[in-house]
Amino acid sequence: MKALVSVKRVVDYNVRVQVKSDGSGVITEGVKHSMNPFDEIAMEEAVRLKEKGKLTEIVAITIGGAKNEETLRSALAFGADRAIHIKEEGDVQPLTAARAFAAALKKEGAQVFFAGKQAIDDDANQTGQMVAALLDIAQATFASKVELDGGKAVVTREVDAGLETLEVDLPAVITTDLRLNEPRYLKLPDIMKAKKKPIETVTFADLGVEKGAALTISKTSAPPKRSKGIMVKTVDELVSALKSKGLV
Amino acid sequence: MQNVMGLGLRVLNRVAGLPVVDRLGLRPTTERWIYQASKTGFQAATLAARQFKATQKLLKPARLPRAARPELFDLTPTDDQQALKEAAQSFAMEQLRAAGQQADTDGKASPELLAQAAELGVAILGVPEELGGAGSERSVMTNVLMAEALAQGDLGLAVACLAPTAVSTALVLWGDADQQARYLPAFVGEQPPVAALAVMEPRPLFDPQQLDTTATRSDGGFVLNGVKTLVPRAAEAELFIVAASLDGQPALFIVEAGAAGLTTEAEPAMGLRAASMARLQLGNVSVPATALLGAGAAEVYDECIALSRLAWCALAVGTSQAVLDYLIPYVNERVAFGEPISHRQAVAFAVSNVGIELEGMRLLTYRAASRAEQGQDYVRQVALARRLCADKGMAIGSDGVQLLGGHGFTKEYPVERWYRDLRAVGLMEGVLLV
Repeated sequence: MKALVSVKRVVDYNVRVQVKSDGSGVITEGVKHSMNPFDEIAMEEAVRLKEKGKLTEIVAITIGGAKNEETLRSALAFGADRAIHIKEEGDVQPLTAARAFAAALKKEGAQVFFAGKQAIDDDANQTGQMVAALLDIAQATFASKVELDGGKAVVTREVDAGLETLEVDLPAVITTDLRLNEPRYLKLPDIMKAKKKPIETVTFADLGVEKGAALTISKTSAPPKRSKGIMVKTVDELVSALKSKGLV
Repeated sequence: MQNVMGLGLRVLNRVAGLPVVDRLGLRPTTERWIYQASKTGFQAATLAARQFKATQKLLKPARLPRAARPELFDLTPTDDQQALKEAAQSFAMEQLRAAGQQADTDGKASPELLAQAAELGVAILGVPEELGGAGSERSVMTNVLMAEALAQGDLGLAVACLAPTAVSTALVLWGDADQQARYLPAFVGEQPPVAALAVMEPRPLFDPQQLDTTATRSDGGFVLNGVKTLVPRAAEAELFIVAASLDGQPALFIVEAGAAGLTTEAEPAMGLRAASMARLQLGNVSVPATALLGAGAAEVYDECIALSRLAWCALAVGTSQAVLDYLIPYVNERVAFGEPISHRQAVAFAVSNVGIELEGMRLLTYRAASRAEQGQDYVRQVALARRLCADKGMAIGSDGVQLLGGHGFTKEYPVERWYRDLRAVGLMEGVLLV
């Protein structure tokens, strides 16, 4: 059974993100990027399933410019067998990404599409669901436990009220949540071996993908700064301060 | 160039911004390794059990070809080196950093941690592919970056993790076909042996060119006599490379731990406690003629000393970076007299000096490594790097303790341990190779 795993290159989770001065977005130049942590969890799950003999092939896929190859190399070092690089520069929105992934999934004939539940850059949380909708296949999102058996997947998902267990027919889309697993450390020799694994480069045109209706970002701004507090000496002073601000 | 700067910034950023990690809960410092006891595992009992024997016949020794030489002088890590460094760093910052204090107190690294480090595969990286390793070229620079990355987590543990690699590296560099075929397969196997390179001797003004340990020729072999000091993980080691004087010239000998007349004695020191340093006594230890490494050539021994000094420089750079990265947020957050202590020039200047000195240490170390890699003469560069790394490494450790005030003195903070460990840099000979 083949799995397609999408991995996105995002600003590293350790970076203190800064908004561009013109408010058009955040600064990504000269900033450390790495694989979206939720996608690492998806990768890890796929590799574990392969180690258990439930999957036979793992194909990592990403959309983006030349630098995204680094992310694919990480995925290959993780344990993907090969990778597909959909080489497109510029902003890619969830619907466009979903169309591309759906086309690739069809082309590859993969039975499972793994993705992180969301990427930590735009936090859209849409792509996985859209892929399922476009292909009219089952979806199990926010997975905290995944079992593959025959033509079915049993997925425990984290929902507001607790845990929900779904049994879905394959092919299916599974998006991974934080508590599914803890991704492994990359082994140094695997990083070297990853250089020899194949990466296929395609474009939206090759996949017959049209860009989805564009959302426009009108403004990006940093969260408001917390203003400095004042110290009061007595309860009376506190009450009168609150009253003067109309808070009590 | 922008990409290069980006890479550099990424490394720095990786270490910064820990609160963000905590908030997202993305990387708990708890066990993250998929630890497969069945696969790598660790056994206390391998010491006596292992039989080193050749599993394949080599026609000639396998060596790694020299790394391609760039046209311009450039100390920027390549993409591969960067990826390897980031992977090693992430292991070091999460696992070694977390385990550092306990290992220091216990005087040893936990077997689980050492097994994880073996799984990371530093040793395999330096062994040629034809012998089952993952190395495609000999890169001193890559090895320096690995040592630096691990020492950024914890110096004592970095030594414990890297000690066996010194022996595999020595075999790759100087072993003949039979020696390689006999010993190297074990290093790329699922349970790599514990091994150590023993050069130092317990006497004042020790000079690695003047050894008291002697090798005398006997029927078809050598007999070794003498005492080696500060040998990492000696008590559990299965294989040693021992420096001894043969016909008045220092040379390297492969000594298996089972050899009669070989005893070890724990020798806890001020620093590097996690590396379980011990004294190695050789009393009439007989080794076969095939134990002599590199045909006893003087160049081999000189290169061994230079590469080990370079390794200690790399460790000093890594741990000094740890000190600097610890200091900056501390002095910005620690408030005294109503403002962060970094507002005081005495503090700010001290921190910036640490940054400047560290960069100098790093550049000298990289330059020596780069020249060694390119086959140019690098003895002078190693000497410069060693002097600076020994002096400034110690000073940076001391400044770290000083700038943390009373906190610096306590074991609640890791800086006092790094200070003790950094004192080893100017003293040590051998132990590691890059």
